[in-house]
Amino acid sequence: MGNIFKKLGIGLVVGGALVVVGHSQELPVSFQVLFFIVALIGAIVFMLLDAKPIGTMSGGKSVFAVTAFWILLITVCIAGASLLPQFDPEDEKAKIGKLLDKERKQSAQGKAEELIARAKALDAQVKALEERLKGIGGGQAATATATPPAGDKPSAAAGGGSASGDVMKVGEEQWQLQECYNCHKLRGEGGKKRGPELDNIGSLLTVEEIQQKIEDPKSFMAEGYEKEWQKGIMPNKFKDLMDPKEMQALAAWLGTFKNASVNTPKPIKKN
Amino acid sequence: MKKLSSGLLSLVVLFSLSVAATSVYAQEVGASTVEFPYTGNRTAVWIVAQLHILFAAFILGAPIFVVISEWLGYRKQDPRYDRLAKEVTKVTVILFSMTAVTGGLFIFVLLAAYPQFTTSFINQFYVVFAILYPALFITETILMYAYLYTWDVWKGEKKGRHIVLGVLLNLVCLLILFVINGPTSFMNTPPKAEGVSPQDFIAAATLWDKIANQSWFPLSLHRIDGNVAFGGFITGLIAAYMYMGSKTQEERAYYDWMGFAAIWIAVGGSLLQPFTGLLLAYEMCDYDFSFCPYMMADQLSMFFETQGIMIGLLFLGINYYSWLSVKRIEGADNVRMTILAPIVLIVLLPATMWVMDKFWIPDPMSLAFLLPLVLSPFLFGRFIPKTVSARTVIKIGFIIMLISDAVWLTPAGFVATGTDMPDEMKLPEGWDYLSSMPAKLSAILTLVYVTVVNYVLYNRTIKQGTILWGKIDFAAQFVLIFLAFTSTWIMGLMGAVRSLLKKYFHVYSLVSDLSAESFTPTLSYSVWWITAITVVFIGIVSVAALVALRPSVARVREPEGSPVPIAAK
Repeated sequence: MGNIFKKLGIGLVVGGALVVVGHSQELPVSFQVLFFIVALIGAIVFMLLDAKPIGTMSGGKSVFAVTAFWILLITVCIAGASLLPQFDPEDEKAKIGKLLDKERKQSAQGKAEELIARAKALDAQVKALEERLKGIGGGQAATATATPPAGDKPSAAAGGGSASGDVMKVGEEQWQLQECYNCHKLRGEGGKKRGPELDNIGSLLTVEEIQQKIEDPKSFMAEGYEKEWQKGIMPNKFKDLMDPKEMQALAAWLGTFKNASVNTPKPIKKN
Repeated sequence: MKKLSSGLLSLVVLFSLSVAATSVYAQEVGASTVEFPYTGNRTAVWIVAQLHILFAAFILGAPIFVVISEWLGYRKQDPRYDRLAKEVTKVTVILFSMTAVTGGLFIFVLLAAYPQFTTSFINQFYVVFAILYPALFITETILMYAYLYTWDVWKGEKKGRHIVLGVLLNLVCLLILFVINGPTSFMNTPPKAEGVSPQDFIAAATLWDKIANQSWFPLSLHRIDGNVAFGGFITGLIAAYMYMGSKTQEERAYYDWMGFAAIWIAVGGSLLQPFTGLLLAYEMCDYDFSFCPYMMADQLSMFFETQGIMIGLLFLGINYYSWLSVKRIEGADNVRMTILAPIVLIVLLPATMWVMDKFWIPDPMSLAFLLPLVLSPFLFGRFIPKTVSARTVIKIGFIIMLISDAVWLTPAGFVATGTDMPDEMKLPEGWDYLSSMPAKLSAILTLVYVTVVNYVLYNRTIKQGTILWGKIDFAAQFVLIFLAFTSTWIMGLMGAVRSLLKKYFHVYSLVSDLSAESFTPTLSYSVWWITAITVVFIGIVSVAALVALRPSVARVREPEGSPVPIAAK
């Protein structure tokens, strides 16, 4: 027991010291907790290193020990990983829904689903009609106003609103959907220095040039991003993931960013 | 009446339309009419695929060290190596059928869940799936059985012939791995070319173009050393169970030795794993840089945090086993090592972090600094008279490992995705280096180095002392179980990561997954399944080991060639 208390004491002291240092350095609490846990794991490791040997087990005792050990392993693995922050799939589902919407509709499955939806809508109307017929003996059936099937409705997404407003909206949406923010900082959000900050891109490139850069990432190279590993890290896939209108909208939207106080590096024409 | 008949007519029309729609739906190859209960289609495929990969990893990895073990036994004239090789082969043969069963099940589940994709994918690789893979699998089966059943026939002078057969089996195993990794890696990194749409490029691509995609070779390398390590850890698990079930000291001595031999082979593979894994990640990111943030900073960042925890624990477990092994060596207390060893252990992590920050790989300057540093205890140690005890070196090594683990585990922020990271959750300026790739690489390099130093120490202790086989602390058997569980679990986790990297595609940027399940699942959901798969796999392996090896234990205890008839005993 002396071994356990001694090591635990040292672990708590080291962990506590790490928490104090972390706190003084304004490290977020989660990091302080991490370092404290590592110190405690250290204490356990040193307890085990100096622990007395376990005698040989056999028969039911060893089966029980192995079973208990398995339960411990399973519990620690599941609980440990579940305690970490969890990404909410709903955030992604909405994005993927939008990205795949066109393809889903174009696919045979999408068409079949649309057909089924229409059939179901018509089926509901028939049932309503039947109910009325039953109720009034058919006399007033004619007054039932049929709602046009969902599929016949004009697409709400296609029309409405001013054209330029829509373009900007589509452009911003593409910025989100294609996750451009993962590499580029804009409006103070996103970016991890992987790609240049874009708040002043509208002053440095025309909309056509921005579109060219998205279409062919090697057409322009930002100043300061000449290191070998930084060259060509912008994926050459966006022309396949966006249709020309969406790409144009994204370029037009980015073209509106002309904040000269942000040091957007100068793009250099490459080809 | 007219209105009534028109209503009835509408009813008939609508009914026909409804039936037509349903039958169109049912005939569409793209639409899966199957919905796996409880799990859903994607998880059903995931479970079967992961189980298949685990069995396949074992049956492809085990023969590598089986033949090495057999060769060592032949060269050293140590029958234990031969027994180890034969016993593992017996278990491998049983698990071979499990690989085939889960492989078949995998195809059926895939066809049921994703009929259109599976059909088109098989069409893309029909030469692989219809000719190469079955031919190689049949050849492997024949060689595997021949290898097992010629064991007792080709011995003595004919042993060389048997080893050659084992080598041949391994060559076929490697071929299978490379061949099947073609379609697997194709799903992540289908070949592409500038100025041509992915669809057009694939339509014109040859089979070789599709197989030799960017992640094919790194994935195969990663899987080779992974399979060797995995085979070793699973053999360690078998040795632990058999040790626990042993009735005699002789048996305990043998299974103690078996666990030791298996773990050191596994360590050999494990030491390479981080580097081949890094190469794979590098190639993936080079193919499409968006993989990198998705893995390390966004949706999968906590998957990597978990991987860091598990790898840290795996290395702690390996070195703890080594510590327990040293403890059962008589005379271990007298073993000493140059003081340069603990000094290098202490300075290695900060020195590597500094070097990696200044000269990022592949800058040769990083090697120019680091190689002399890591080799100095072995090259210059003999010229320095000051020494420290082996136990002190190992204990310092553990402290360094814990610090390296802390660095390895430090993310940019404890958030589910780096995209929405508030400033108060981020590492502050000046500390953010801890979350960078150079810091991670330094940490893993240090973990590997500590393990190598411990291995060198262990070998030195063996030479200077006497190993008391069968006298190892019983806790070592739990370490062996822990290592097998952890390595299997990590394989499951990283398998999920590799597959999830395709995002909402079946084949990245080429074939979209239009089902409702093409999103990133939560880590919590994933680990439930990963743990369940691990438990099922290890459960089956344990049963296979008991079935294959218990009779041989019983036979060994029985004096062989007893002339007394059973009835007369």
